[in-house]
Amino acid sequence: MNRRVLVVGLLVASPLLAVLAVSFRYDPHFIRSPLLGKEAPNFRLVDIDGGTYELAALRGQPVVINFWATYCPPCIVEHPMLSQAADHYRGQAHFLGVIYQDDENLIRKFVDQRGRWGPSLIDPDGRAAIAYGVYGPPETFFVDRDGKIVDKVIGEVTASHLRATLEPLL
Amino acid sequence: MSQGLLSIARAGVAWALLTAALAVALALPGSTQPLEPPAAPVAPVASTAVSRPLGDPAGPPRSGAELDRVTERLASRMRCPVCQGLSIAASRSISALNMRHEVRELLAAGYSEEQVLDYFEQAYGEFIRLVPKPRGFNLVVWVLPVALLALGGALIARLTRSRSVRSASAADPALADYRERVRKETSD
Amino acid sequence: MSSTLGQGFVLLALLLCAVGAPVGFVAGARRSAFGLRLVRAIALGFAASMALATLVMEWALVRHDFSVSYVAQVGSRSTPLHITIVSLWSSLEGSILFWGLILGLFTAGVTMLQRRGHDDYLAYTLGTILSVGMFFSLLLAGPANPFQAMPAPIPTDGPGPNALLQNHLLMIIHPPMLYLGYVGMTVPFAMAVAALLRGQLGPTWLRPLRNWLLVPTAFLTLGIMLGGWWSYEVLGWGGYWAWDPVENASFLPWLTAIAAVHSAVVQQRRGSLKAWTVILVMISFLLTILGTFLTRSGVVNSVHSFTQTPIGPMFLGFLGICAVAVVVLLALRIDTLASPAPVTTGPLSRETGFLVNNLLFVALMFTVLVGTLFPILAEAVKGVKVSVGEPYFNRMAVPLFSSLVLLMGLGPALPWGSADPQHARRALLWPLPAAAVAALVAWLLGGRSLGVLSACALAGYTLWVTADQGLRPARERRRHLGETTPVALGRAIRLTPRRLGAYLAHFGVLVTFVAVAVSSSYQVDGEATLRPGSAMTIGAYTLTYQGGQLEESPHLSRQVATVRIAARGKQLGTLSPSLNFYPTQSDPLGTPAVRTGLTHDLYLTLMNVSRDGQIGLRAIVTPAVVWIWLGVMVIVLGTGLCLVPPWVPRPAAGRETVADPLLGAAEG
Repeated sequence: MNRRVLVVGLLVASPLLAVLAVSFRYDPHFIRSPLLGKEAPNFRLVDIDGGTYELAALRGQPVVINFWATYCPPCIVEHPMLSQAADHYRGQAHFLGVIYQDDENLIRKFVDQRGRWGPSLIDPDGRAAIAYGVYGPPETFFVDRDGKIVDKVIGEVTASHLRATLEPLL
Repeated sequence: MSQGLLSIARAGVAWALLTAALAVALALPGSTQPLEPPAAPVAPVASTAVSRPLGDPAGPPRSGAELDRVTERLASRMRCPVCQGLSIAASRSISALNMRHEVRELLAAGYSEEQVLDYFEQAYGEFIRLVPKPRGFNLVVWVLPVALLALGGALIARLTRSRSVRSASAADPALADYRERVRKETSD
Repeated sequence: MSSTLGQGFVLLALLLCAVGAPVGFVAGARRSAFGLRLVRAIALGFAASMALATLVMEWALVRHDFSVSYVAQVGSRSTPLHITIVSLWSSLEGSILFWGLILGLFTAGVTMLQRRGHDDYLAYTLGTILSVGMFFSLLLAGPANPFQAMPAPIPTDGPGPNALLQNHLLMIIHPPMLYLGYVGMTVPFAMAVAALLRGQLGPTWLRPLRNWLLVPTAFLTLGIMLGGWWSYEVLGWGGYWAWDPVENASFLPWLTAIAAVHSAVVQQRRGSLKAWTVILVMISFLLTILGTFLTRSGVVNSVHSFTQTPIGPMFLGFLGICAVAVVVLLALRIDTLASPAPVTTGPLSRETGFLVNNLLFVALMFTVLVGTLFPILAEAVKGVKVSVGEPYFNRMAVPLFSSLVLLMGLGPALPWGSADPQHARRALLWPLPAAAVAALVAWLLGGRSLGVLSACALAGYTLWVTADQGLRPARERRRHLGETTPVALGRAIRLTPRRLGAYLAHFGVLVTFVAVAVSSSYQVDGEATLRPGSAMTIGAYTLTYQGGQLEESPHLSRQVATVRIAARGKQLGTLSPSLNFYPTQSDPLGTPAVRTGLTHDLYLTLMNVSRDGQIGLRAIVTPAVVWIWLGVMVIVLGTGLCLVPPWVPRPAAGRETVADPLLGAAEG
């Protein structure tokens, strides 16, 4: 028995195996946003109907910012839920949609058919998406009264999650 | 004679170390400018509709060929968020195009490459850097390979120092004639 | 029916492995002739069951038998026949079955071809191969069962295979090559285990090991190259290697296998580095399992990886068991193999060259491994996701590869054993003018970047040594035996195929090396938005967009743009890049159109087609790309030549051959 070989071999193999083993604990596609707890980047954008919206002007009430597109199936799924929520929290919270790499006309057609739960803001060159570090639609940010980002949801937002996150911010 | 060999062995070690040093030198970024203190966040920038928590540009505005060159260099160090493993310089996805556009604009305004990277990092996380920042724990990724190279180089230097050829041990009789043949073949 | 039959063959394979593995080990330990005959029969039975299981699957695929789960998963009535056949490896379960088939083929190959020449070891070798086979049979019988019976109602049609598979011919040949390389590494591994169990390394070990190591290495080389070529022809970003985790996974075992090929040479010539060769071979096998784990488990972020499945933990478990077994076996038996002679006789010798070669290859492997796994480590330690991408790998790998190219010139220039320093110095200075000439030629051809000029100088130096060493037998025949050049060359190939093969492979490396340096330094890239009739220019080319059309077929719809190419007033025909829309995929896949030339490629990709008829066109001119593929093919050809047994003339054949002064080199 060559002890040196045994010790060296195990010393090389075990950390490697350990690294591979812990890899199961992480979803390679999930990245925690560094913006959580930070001030939400301000933007002044125009929506498809011509209105101008500035985030900083909405201070005092929580804001839900939803990056979406018509080609993304979860966005279509969460659309009715967001409509209901926007109705329910009218006067208490703001709901802003930001168009993510999509055609304005398609968006207009879509909201004409299925209803508007808030403005659909045009994001030229995806600047707002970059400032918010959006990887792909849909992504939803919850901003508190003081303009701080308290939560970010990647993918479809559920009604219960929305309620649980938004209620304490009111 | 042995003196000469010793110096050659030293040269061998030096060569290994040189290669290692070369790797280190190439691995570390050329110059790290002192970072600006974090600027006052969120002040609307007049020309754009989206404010960027960036502070003041660290240098004078860039343009022309220099801007192209710096944009290309920085873009090749940033990861395209939607295409796996490609830089935003290589990818032609809309995300990559938008990001490159933004990078170019910021570089044109005179922001340093590190400032631009920091801005993207604040939004996307460290993931956006295609090469980890050579700082703290990240140094592991640079140090481990170089350490192995140095260790191996030292081992080879030690192995090649001894000149004596001992004959095959008797513990291995099955190989005796094989080795004899090998010796014949190689003694030309 | 197919489902039951297929599962039956898989279970039979599992049973044969479960019986055969212990039989092999016991037969090896007792040196039992009967046991050896038995394990050989079992090995052939395992190969046959795997082949039959695969046949059943192919039959089900071709017949669109959607009662078989895998067919329901990847089959489609609208897919062309050749795509249906190769969809065997388009998804996880099928690819494991394919793996089993190839392992079966290798098992049969070893059993039949090593009837002689591997006597003392064969039982152990087969026992080890069957142990590995047991793991894959187990996967096929349980978590990755492709033969599950579909519950009623049986679907009438399926989604078809992965769109990427359908997009290019190279996707049909690239995975089998890679698999042949990956799976084939089991054979030298099994031989290494056999050597440790037997406790000695004789010629009947080394010769078969060399051959069975060269075969998968050649396939791996080809597979990696085809993967790069496929990337280039299909993914549309103009490059061929992105240091993606899965690309890296195929690269890792290749690096150590090449190191092992070289250390086996030292073992053959000098009888040293025995234990080290065994270790390298074992590491190569472990890295193939690691690579498969990375690809199949979905733990890394990659274009190629399959989604996260229960297969992941099983592969990790297998890797763990293999790694621990290897370490324990090495610890128990390595002292029986330790080289009695010190490795080398002087610092300036060919042996030193081989040692540094091994160090550089292992360091490269380690660098790629660390870079690939670091994101996982960083997430565990810092809780933050980081990326380790191309710039890291290039910065680390370029100096290491360049050192290897230099070493390819230095090593062979040095003599075996101890050389007097003066002689060595002369040998090393002698090729320097070639380096200068190569750099000058590169400069005259317009090369201005320091990187390209130094790459050419390095290549020139090494080319001189390679040609000098590789052609030496032919030259000496001509000089000493008075043969004409073609005769001398022909005889040299027949008498010393390995030597020529080795230097031919080195030559291929040089071609690839220069092509990579040139192509990555002088790429010209341009893009434009074009209306029908309008044109853009890139390099010497004028590209006129003639118009687009939509091609509809059952399994995809293609937006094809026709672009007319002209250069220096000459019409050069048209290229048609396209965007392919698959009903099962949300994003279109672009298919670039490439005009390949000996000096450069013109590469067009269609980025988008807008409703008003405008297209976004990207054009890239890259010099020398084709030489990357050709260079690698030369490497593979050289490796193949190394497998040709040298022609040993009969003593009666006459004076010329008996007294052939150059015969000794045949072993080189």
